[in-house]
Amino acid sequence: MSGRVVFIGGERVVLAENPLKSGGQAAVFEVEGQPGSVVKIYHEPPGPEQERRLCRMLTMAPLGGRPVDFTQQPELAWPTAPARDPGGEFVGYAMRKFGEPEHVQLVALFSRAQRLRMFPDRADWKFLLGVSWNLAFMTARMHDEDLVIGDFSSNNVVVDRNGFITFLDCDSIAFTDPVSGEAFPCEMHTADYSAPERQAGGPATRASDDFALAVLIYQILTAGNHPFGGVLHDSDSQATVKDNIAASCSYVVRPERVVIPRGVIDPSVLPPALLALAHRAFGLGVTNPPARPSAREWLVALTQERPSVRTCTARPLHSYGSHLDACPWCARLAATGVDTFGATPLPDGTPVPEQEWGLRAVLIAAAVIVLILVVVVLTYA
Amino acid sequence: MRHNRARNRTVRTEYADIEFENNAQRLPLVLCLDTSSSMSGPPIQTLNEALREWARELHDDVSLSHSVDVAVVTFGQQGVSTWQGSRQLPPQSPDSPFVPAHAFRPPLLFAEGVTLMTEALELAMWIVSARKTELRRSGLQYYRPQICLVTDGLPTDGTGHPTDNWKRVVPVLAAEQQARHFRLYAIGVGGITPRGEEVLQAFAPKFNARLNGFPFRQLLQMMSASATAEQKGAGDEVFEKIFSQFKTQRPAWES
Repeated sequence: MSGRVVFIGGERVVLAENPLKSGGQAAVFEVEGQPGSVVKIYHEPPGPEQERRLCRMLTMAPLGGRPVDFTQQPELAWPTAPARDPGGEFVGYAMRKFGEPEHVQLVALFSRAQRLRMFPDRADWKFLLGVSWNLAFMTARMHDEDLVIGDFSSNNVVVDRNGFITFLDCDSIAFTDPVSGEAFPCEMHTADYSAPERQAGGPATRASDDFALAVLIYQILTAGNHPFGGVLHDSDSQATVKDNIAASCSYVVRPERVVIPRGVIDPSVLPPALLALAHRAFGLGVTNPPARPSAREWLVALTQERPSVRTCTARPLHSYGSHLDACPWCARLAATGVDTFGATPLPDGTPVPEQEWGLRAVLIAAAVIVLILVVVVLTYA
Repeated sequence: MRHNRARNRTVRTEYADIEFENNAQRLPLVLCLDTSSSMSGPPIQTLNEALREWARELHDDVSLSHSVDVAVVTFGQQGVSTWQGSRQLPPQSPDSPFVPAHAFRPPLLFAEGVTLMTEALELAMWIVSARKTELRRSGLQYYRPQICLVTDGLPTDGTGHPTDNWKRVVPVLAAEQQARHFRLYAIGVGGITPRGEEVLQAFAPKFNARLNGFPFRQLLQMMSASATAEQKGAGDEVFEKIFSQFKTQRPAWES
């Protein structure tokens, strides 16, 4: 049995009967006969403001019409056409599908079980560093184009097998129409990534994006540990990430204030320059938005770190920052019996296979070239 | 170093049932299911099939399977029981019935026995509270837990006679829900009577429903939608919207 009929840019299409995903605000449907696209339908009539927002977005080509490289996916799941019901009423919009197994929500990198399931043999720390870099790069360029991501979380960013990322919920970004001057705010946010001023009802800003970016980068680089994890001492009411953010309580900065999550990865796996940014973001920056590191600061620090990543001589899936003298993942395996980045630990003395360099080298080279271009453009802009 | 190592190993064993290498904020979800004799035949088969489908969907949802921990409580056969995935736990078992969603294997349920609904709800509240304590001790955070009560009948005593003992949990449930200690959904299915509906209304004044037939699949999907909303930090109005959509948007074949 088929689902409802809608018109996408004038073309009649039939949606799948059941949504791929349904939330409080909208549901996403596949389109019969068009495997590459999906349609997001709002549960309730979205109203003229949302329609104007969508129409304005359709005239924009953010991030300079990237990607330039055919191996890379678009970084934004930008709307491609409005969706209307047979009566002509605006009900949602079409976009490209970024689904599994090619694209996986970023949250899949945050637990060992899912890393092994979704990214077998590739999600090592070097990969995570690359994903962080891509995230900072995307955010920096959004900000340069006066776009605010707004609802920035591990659920609406997907990552592919090469570590490229795509931001999904573009219809919620905040921007000002340069022609009419109309401001389109971001109404959505995700508690675990919301800076205190957003939790208190404030608008989405670059600084609130910077907060979410810092949390995401910290989580990625620590294989999933939220910097506002932990349970406050002497408290028996709530125990949520949201409360710890509101109380400006991060164990990365003030470990003595909380029962630290068991099995936590020591913040020192972050190289010193990155750890310093994390301290600023999760210390002073929590309540003082201008003090938060910008996406560009993260980008610069991540860029410096990427060429010097070390690979463990005993286990090839163990990589780590050049600031460490010994492999932190082997130490963790010895202490806990669990290999954060591998399914089966190799017995000592097993010959270490050569690193697979081909694709990585090409990607890194491409990334560096793009970065240089961006820096040049930014400098002259 | 040796001392350190020993200590860490102890920590690991102690919390062995809380998935290691995953420090996500947890969402405890308890299914509190009527498996009394009135559910026998197609209803219990439908329920078993729906649980299998739902388990598959949970595994595939990277976001929910990262954070949701599932426990099952049944009331019917052998009184009140807890299940750790597909394994029925013996009474007084020290093991936690909670299983990470990505590892959840559904139980195979049989319909038999009486409707100890009150006792089942009390047990559900107890395991939620014990789980919270366990998580806090491990420094792990949690979203507001969800309990989903599903029944087609009236609370009975151990001999199968209707009883008013459910009234004793009403004030407890009211206080706990008011304090946001958990979210309770109370769902009547099949041939539940108006009297049975009144009980569910008393348990969960906002989140109760009487559904035609046995739409367990949609019910479990609603629980997932609610869990996603909880992760997003949605306000109460969103949960009410999800619930009312679930109550009103029934497939045509059911009406």
